[in-house]
Amino acid sequence: MDNQAVNQSQSRNVNHAGTLVIVAGLVLLPFILGQLGRTGEFWIWVTTEMIITGLFAMSLNLILGFGGMVSFGHAAFFGVGAYTVALLMKKAGVPLFLALLAAPVTAAIAAAIIGWFCVRLIGLYFAILTLAFSQLLYMIVFQWYTFTGGDDGIHGIPRPEFLGPTSYYLLCLAIFLVCFLLMRMIVNSAFGLSIRTIRENMERAKFIGINVRRYQWINFIIAGAFAGLAGGLLCELNRFAQTEFLHWSKSAEPILGSLVGGMYSLAGPAVGSAVLMFLKIILQQIHRSMVEVWAIVLCSILVVVVLFAPGGLASLYEKLFRKSDS
Amino acid sequence: MTKEYLLFMLINGLSEGMLLFIIASGLSLVFGVLRVINFAHGSLYMIGAFVAYSVSTLLTTGSLMSFLVLLLVVPPIIAVIGFVLEVTLFRRVYREEHLLQLLLTYALVLILDDVVRVVWGGDPRNVARPDLLAGSVDIMGLALPTYNVFILCVGPVVAVGLWLLLYRTRSGNMIRAAVSFPDTLGTLGVNVSRVMTATFMLGCWLAGLGGVLVVSLASIDLGIGMQKIIECFAVVVIGGLGSVGGALLGSLIIGTGVTFFQLPFGRWALVFPYLMMAVVLIVRPWGLFGRPER
Repeated sequence: MDNQAVNQSQSRNVNHAGTLVIVAGLVLLPFILGQLGRTGEFWIWVTTEMIITGLFAMSLNLILGFGGMVSFGHAAFFGVGAYTVALLMKKAGVPLFLALLAAPVTAAIAAAIIGWFCVRLIGLYFAILTLAFSQLLYMIVFQWYTFTGGDDGIHGIPRPEFLGPTSYYLLCLAIFLVCFLLMRMIVNSAFGLSIRTIRENMERAKFIGINVRRYQWINFIIAGAFAGLAGGLLCELNRFAQTEFLHWSKSAEPILGSLVGGMYSLAGPAVGSAVLMFLKIILQQIHRSMVEVWAIVLCSILVVVVLFAPGGLASLYEKLFRKSDS
Repeated sequence: MTKEYLLFMLINGLSEGMLLFIIASGLSLVFGVLRVINFAHGSLYMIGAFVAYSVSTLLTTGSLMSFLVLLLVVPPIIAVIGFVLEVTLFRRVYREEHLLQLLLTYALVLILDDVVRVVWGGDPRNVARPDLLAGSVDIMGLALPTYNVFILCVGPVVAVGLWLLLYRTRSGNMIRAAVSFPDTLGTLGVNVSRVMTATFMLGCWLAGLGGVLVVSLASIDLGIGMQKIIECFAVVVIGGLGSVGGALLGSLIIGTGVTFFQLPFGRWALVFPYLMMAVVLIVRPWGLFGRPER
């Protein structure tokens, strides 16, 4: 027993050390890349976007992996966050940090309204309704030319003087880490455990007195808020907001990332979507036309994952590992 | 706004609804038997439309013959694609949890849509209507586009055909039995998985038929699959998943509703299906004709 405890604390120490090394590596990365000139700058930009999409994927996974609710409309909140930042900075001249604070707030409001309807339904119907609402929002943004710029989007969002590529990378990384810790707190809290209980057995959760709908609703709002923040960050990185941010194919990205990285862990989706993005960029570098077939390749992988390794690549690894063990 | 104008709108709305019904009934039928909602149904419809375009380039434009050839050739092609998908993918997830089924068909949407993009590109396409259906007909002193009236007639034919198939033939009995008592059907010695494959192919055939009909109605592009699948969702949600009669009612509501909402709201009428869907899902989640599940 004692031995086990010691082992556990040792492995936890190793874990902590590993996390520290990874974080230190991430902090130092832009400075190393900065030495490479223009290619380095490109890669700083890419890694920044990886961090942002990682945050987006993790936010979805709060409802997908931990909540067990398949949402096909998560891009709605990503887009709301992005357009919040774009509109506030471009049209109202609000400084970046205030706009970035507003993004999760507006996204949470949108999630509260949409989620109120959606959590009344389960499974299939939930998925359909989230998709429908996100398409609705997409169409509104697309049609409301005078406010959102419609098809053209909103371009030329100002960037504060002091924010170069490297410092913006560090800003995103800091926000990502804070969000990661927040999400870890949420997932491990009583609330997070209740959410997981609901995922495992909704009937039982009801019996032990959990207000299932309210818990799912709150979870939906939290996930929406984080997605909004990610959207705001991407908007400032690209310095434009466009309807693509709300498109249903944008909702697919975090789902794919979560599946590849494993949706029953917190960091898995972030790793998964970073890996996917890295692959995409590499393919792009090899040949431009590869991007054309990217989604086909990616989704074929997804189909294989769904059919043979529902827990993501991590579980596939585990499966193989365990098999060789026994 | 005269009475004639309203009638005109009604005919247009109903023909939109009939087109929608042809596609949505396939989705509903497949769900009823397979218990899998096929997100890729809209993509199959889109493929049907683009295949119809490609086949039409091989034929003489505007002749009735080539239109009939399209109607005869394209839907079976989509059914064959459906056969391949069912046997290789769908069959594996019937007994899995909903989550995996959803993700699988969703991945399929992304794959198929990209295949269409790579093969046909993003330009809008359309096929000239056959001369016989190109003009307009006089109904009660109104000049109505013949093609819309034609679709308005095809819809009921499909509806009656489906009804006859489901309620008056042995295969139809099996399909309905597979909806209600798949296990009993199996113990009676019927090859249930063959019934499922056949139903899936029928659903895809209907999607293909919708694709052929739409390509002469309006120009098609890469967005039509997603647009139609969401309209289909609205239809089957309103009518009840798995109910063909409900799909007919839902289609007519959506088709005429969108058309009539255009009068006061203009382009914003596109919001109508979503509103209807949200309302029905909240008030009666299993639809007007469906049965509550679980």
